[in-house]
Amino acid sequence: MSYAHPESIVETEWVAQHLNDPGVRIIESDEDPLLYAMGHIPGAVQVDWFTTLQHPLRRDFITKEQFEEVCSSLGIANDTTLVFYGDKSNWFACYALWLFQYYGHQNAKIMNGGRLKWEQEKRPLTKDVPSYPRTTYKAKEPDKSIRAFRDEVLTQSNERKPLVDVRSPKEYTGELLHMPNYPQEGATRGGHIPGAVNIPWAMAVNETDSTFKPAEELRALYEGQGIKPDEKVIAYCRIGERSSLTWFVLKYLLGYPNVKNYDGSWTEWGNLVDAPIEK
Amino acid sequence: MNLPPKLQEIVDDFAAMSREEKLETLIAYAETFPPLPEHLKNARSQMEPVPECMTPVFLFGEQQADGGIIFHMDIPPQSPTVRGLATILANGLNGCQPDEILSVPADFFLPMNLQEAISQQRLNGFAGILAHMKNIARTIRAPKF
Repeated sequence: MSYAHPESIVETEWVAQHLNDPGVRIIESDEDPLLYAMGHIPGAVQVDWFTTLQHPLRRDFITKEQFEEVCSSLGIANDTTLVFYGDKSNWFACYALWLFQYYGHQNAKIMNGGRLKWEQEKRPLTKDVPSYPRTTYKAKEPDKSIRAFRDEVLTQSNERKPLVDVRSPKEYTGELLHMPNYPQEGATRGGHIPGAVNIPWAMAVNETDSTFKPAEELRALYEGQGIKPDEKVIAYCRIGERSSLTWFVLKYLLGYPNVKNYDGSWTEWGNLVDAPIEK
Repeated sequence: MNLPPKLQEIVDDFAAMSREEKLETLIAYAETFPPLPEHLKNARSQMEPVPECMTPVFLFGEQQADGGIIFHMDIPPQSPTVRGLATILANGLNGCQPDEILSVPADFFLPMNLQEAISQQRLNGFAGILAHMKNIARTIRAPKF
């Protein structure tokens, strides 16, 4: 069994051979925003989940117009092939890819293994920040078929349809918010959305080199917990970053037709008045 | 209550910076992250962990002859932001007496306006590193029997 959409990932060697390909833009998106400055793949640009992609005022993403400006300033054209990579097993690379698809950029891939594998293979890193000729990028209207909002999540929970909580087991049980000396994590209640199964995101990647696990292992992992392709699946975590990776795995590596990421995630649900919670 | 002078200087500097300058300065701090002294290598079990950070962070404090504390830190290079924030605290507090360290308010960094450059969770980590530096200062200050 191979991945459902093998073209959605590329290996580090492919990237190494396309460093100067004008039709390809390599984009680093990290959990730690300073990593790019410490050294990145030659020619890669940075898209930071926080300073680049978040709306400066509302809890939302940048607007379509702001997104167009980001792409235009990075020299991304509507037909550019985008390759995302990053730290932490590509969490934020998947998050950025998800948002680019939200605004209609379909031609986007993940570099399997991310920063970790690139570094392990002793491939070159540079501090030089490239600049590319400005483009005039035209985004599409947001694709809400890949993004879940709270009302839809509530319906999904009430109907006991598939919900995947990809946080660590202690976050799922609500134990973590009660740990002594643990800082306020932005949610007033602990636990999970009723009906959600707990499949921590990390189970989808190999710990040694951050690459994705083989298709058959992934299928066994999700189907074994009742997460099957025949129904709409909603994934969530704390702010939607770890669940972007699970969204990517379900949608592109396993080919589930209808998968949504709930970016409100626990920092919304755990604060939402009257929202049902299980422990 | 005044902050220790070196820490106050850093806070004032950041308060006056644009978002880009803050990020550049954090990078500069991360690049000057001090190496771990030989005797603390592989000594995490003797060090103070900081579980508030998403990164493994371990601290160690050594008291000098004049009573001041010098902090040593074990933080992986894959986490330059945490390294940068920890270096700010070490630069601002190294050499201070335990009581001076304990007098730093937990929210001393608010005037730095770091939230425009880094996420809230990282600020929790920053506050966590300070809280554990205070733990170390408290332990060192305690009378020894």
